[in-house]
Parts: sequence; structure tokens; C-alpha cells
Amino acid sequence: MHNMNKLFRLIQFSDSTFPVGTFSFSNGLETAAGLGIVHDAHTLKEYTRSIATQAAFSDGVSALLSHRAALAGDYAGVCQADRQLMLFKMNDEARLMLARMGKKLAELGLALYGPESMFASWLEDIKAGLTPGTYPVAQGIAFALDGMDEKALYVAHQYGVINMVLSAALRCVRISHYDTQKILFELGDDIEDSYAQAKNMGFDNMRAFVPQADIFASLHEKGKMRMFMN
Amino acid sequence: MAARQYSDAPVCDFDSMPEMRGYTAEPEGMYVGCPGKHGYLKLGFEKNREGKTILRDLDRRAPLIVQKELYFDEQLPEMPCVYILSSGGPNVDGDRYVQKFHLKKDAMAFISTGAATKLAEMKSNYSGMRQTIVLEAGSYLEYLPEPVIPCKHTRYISDTAIVADPTASMFYSEIYMPGRKYYKTGEIFEYDVLSVCVHGSRPDGMPLFREKFVITPQDGHIRDIGIMSHYDVFANVVVLAPENVINEIYTRTEPGIDRESRLAYGITHLPNHSGLLFRALGMEPGPVKKIVRSFCSDVRMAVKGCPLPDEFPWR
Repeated sequence: MHNMNKLFRLIQFSDSTFPVGTFSFSNGLETAAGLGIVHDAHTLKEYTRSIATQAAFSDGVSALLSHRAALAGDYAGVCQADRQLMLFKMNDEARLMLARMGKKLAELGLALYGPESMFASWLEDIKAGLTPGTYPVAQGIAFALDGMDEKALYVAHQYGVINMVLSAALRCVRISHYDTQKILFELGDDIEDSYAQAKNMGFDNMRAFVPQADIFASLHEKGKMRMFMN
Repeated sequence: MAARQYSDAPVCDFDSMPEMRGYTAEPEGMYVGCPGKHGYLKLGFEKNREGKTILRDLDRRAPLIVQKELYFDEQLPEMPCVYILSSGGPNVDGDRYVQKFHLKKDAMAFISTGAATKLAEMKSNYSGMRQTIVLEAGSYLEYLPEPVIPCKHTRYISDTAIVADPTASMFYSEIYMPGRKYYKTGEIFEYDVLSVCVHGSRPDGMPLFREKFVITPQDGHIRDIGIMSHYDVFANVVVLAPENVINEIYTRTEPGIDRESRLAYGITHLPNHSGLLFRALGMEPGPVKKIVRSFCSDVRMAVKGCPLPDEFPWR
């Protein structure tokens, strides 16, 4: 990450306006806020960290493994990372989120990197139902195609997850931009430790433990509250 | 020094898992793998000509014990009920367990444990369990063990592999206590590691789902919102069944948060339309066991057309 062009790309791919639909999802926050369980900066920070941690050791690992496979030209390895992540996602809305955002990035990737890129065959396989097309794997492919290293990918991934929750919070929790930026700033301090663990993990080590967030997701899945898709 | 003897139970080794790194020293007491602390249990159920399921195969190594199957369920009198006991008391440092349950075509079985599984305080090593559940066509398994209680400095890891025919059905519940909640001044989330993995596949090898959680309370975030928050007890129920049955149970089950009884519960689909995952959080094992049993009763109703009997008053 010492090349200005790559730094530019990293910012582009991590930007909240990057059109993959992150604004549609709250990762269970809508329900947590509706119930009054997340209601201020302190509770929002806790919840955001929980979501970021579960993503770090599941989605984040899958992103890293797909990036390594894509760099090695191992298309089967990319698809394996894709399928393994979907096997691991324990609720419908999380699977929907990953698949929708992944497909969006695949379509965008095809436009950015051209029909000769890995995105072309991957998008074709998504449409044929041969691979689920998850967002972290799409990120892995994009960063590999641009020659960006996996640390950059991991940072972009975690930043994206945290920012998705905080952006949703601005719409459903009584919170200011100052609060959300402070939380983002502080949670950024966890990234080194998180990567140090995730970089050595394989599919067998992927893990997540957010039972209360899973129950929020279930309440949202079967409920009528609908500002966000999850 | 006499040569060490080892149990002939199948190998159960999690030393390579990252969460067990640092917990692989030989215990000061009995060594890893010695007879008596490397348990093995193989249960094979088969439907006989009269339509009754019998426990055809039973192979065991201490400390695991299963005695004769019982037929006490008045709703399903042809279903054998089996309790797994451990003669060694709690799981201790360096214990290993292997359990294999195989239900042949159209067989059914109820399996539970005789009491809560206590995971004793550990100093050097960990306790591990590997389970395999094979469900042939049309078979039906109810696996409803008592809660697991991880004490201070416990390290526990389990891996459960389920191979299920698309026409088979099962529920498998796990309830985890935070520790010995009322021991001395309270021992809550003082264990070192709890690592639990449950994964399913079809007989042709097609993977269905994989769930793994690793809880390390000492990282300081177990009480965060989204994780355990203010709750103490956590339960998971995995349901596998044909898709029409799954849809019926899903429609019938409502998630909820009961602030008065301090219970929260939710349901969602497993990947690949293979089943359901029901989760519950609570403060005490009684109410959590009750809601898990009520959900499992709904599963039995959808699969077999009858509810679970009331739980024995002493359990």
C-alpha cells in the first residue's frame, strides 16, 4: 500500500457511496434500536464491535482466502471460499445481504476490469447458480485484480462492515455524526489484532458468536419493521 | 516406569486447532488417551420386523456408559430412549470422547444424558468430543442432552458431523451454562475456551451447513450487546427435516423477547434449505430448557404428529 494509485483504489472501494447497496442493510441494528437495546453511543459501539468481530473471523477470512486464490489464478479456490462462507451464514437475511452485494460488485467489477477478468466467469457462474457470489469474495477478487495486498483488503472489509452499521445507526438511533465517527475511529484500533488472527485461519477455523444479534435478525426476518432489508 | 497403555477408542485430537493452542501440555494426573479417560460410544439403531426400533449395536469404552434402551415414551412407544452416562463424573483435563450414532432406514431414537455435563477446572490440557450422527432415509432422531456447565478455566472443544438423508429428520439441542452460577460467590463466564462446531452434509458428501463458535470470555466482550449481553444461558437447536416439514415449523415458530422472564429466542433457516436453527438466551437453565423442549415438541408434532411428553419432574 505504498502506491498512490492503489491507495486511490482502496479509498474508492471502501467509500460508502460505492454502489453495492450497503445502505439497505443494518445487520440487525434496526431491531436492536426498535427495542431500545441500542440507544446511545455506548450501546452502539458495543453492538458495532460485536458485528465487526463476527465478520472478521468469517467474512474477513473468506475474503482473505479468495484473494489468495485469485492471486494464484485458482478460480476453484475462489468458488470454494464463496461456498464455504455461505454454508457458514446462519440466517436468511445475512445470506441475502452477502449475495446481493456480491452480485452488485461482480457486475461493477466486470465494468471496471473488463470481460477478460475473473469477474466475467464468476458473474456467469453466479447467474447459473453454480456459486453464491458473496460480497467478501467479490472484494477478494477485486483487490487481487488490482494487485492490492491482503492487508488493504482486510482493512477495506472491516471498515465496510463497521461503516455499514454506523451509517444505519444515523437513520435509526438517536446519534450524531460526531458519535459515529468517534466509534469508527476507536474501532479502527482493533484492526491489527483482528488481522493477526484472521490471516492464519482456514475454513475450519471460521467462527462467529453473536446469539443476541442472531435473535434480532430473526425478529426482523419474521417481523414487520422494514426500514432496512436486515 | 511401566509402558503407557492407551484406550482403543477412535482418535479424538484437536491439538492443531488454534483455540486449543497453549492447552496441549500433558496433564499432571492421568495422561491423554489412557483407558478410562478416552471414552467411546457407538449406538446403532435399526427398525425390526414388528416396526419397533431396537438398539442393534452398542459399543462403549469407559467412562461412557449406555445401558439397555427403554421404551417409556407413550406418544411413540416403538421408539427406544437412551441415556448417556459418564462413570467418571465431570470431564477433566485431557479427557477425550468419541460418540457415533447411526440410525438405519426408518429407525427412530431419543438420546439424552443422565445429568448435566460438568466440565471441571483444567490446568494443562483440554477436554474434547467428536460426534458423528448418520441418519438414513426416513429415520428420526431426538437428541436432547442436559446442559453443559463449563467451570473456571475449562477448555472444551467439540465437533459434531451430521450426515442426513434428505428424507430423515432430527433435532439436536445444546444448552450452555455460563459456569457454576451459584457456586461460592458465583462462577460466571470464567472458563477459558468453549469451541463448538456442528456441520451437516448429505450422504453423497454435499455440504449443507457449518456452524462454529469459539467463546473466550477473558477477551472481555462476552457481555457486549449482540453477544450474550445480560443473559447467562445460551441454547442452540439444529433441526434437519424435509423442506415441507421445515416450512411448517418455521411458520409456526415465532421469535420473541420476553422482558419479564428475561428470555429471548429466534429462528432462522439453515443454508441450502436443509433445516432450521433455533436459538434461545436466558438467565436460568429451567426456562431455557422449557422453551427448547417446547420448540422440540413442535418439531416432533410436525414430523410425527404427536408432541413430546412432559419432562420428568426430577429433571
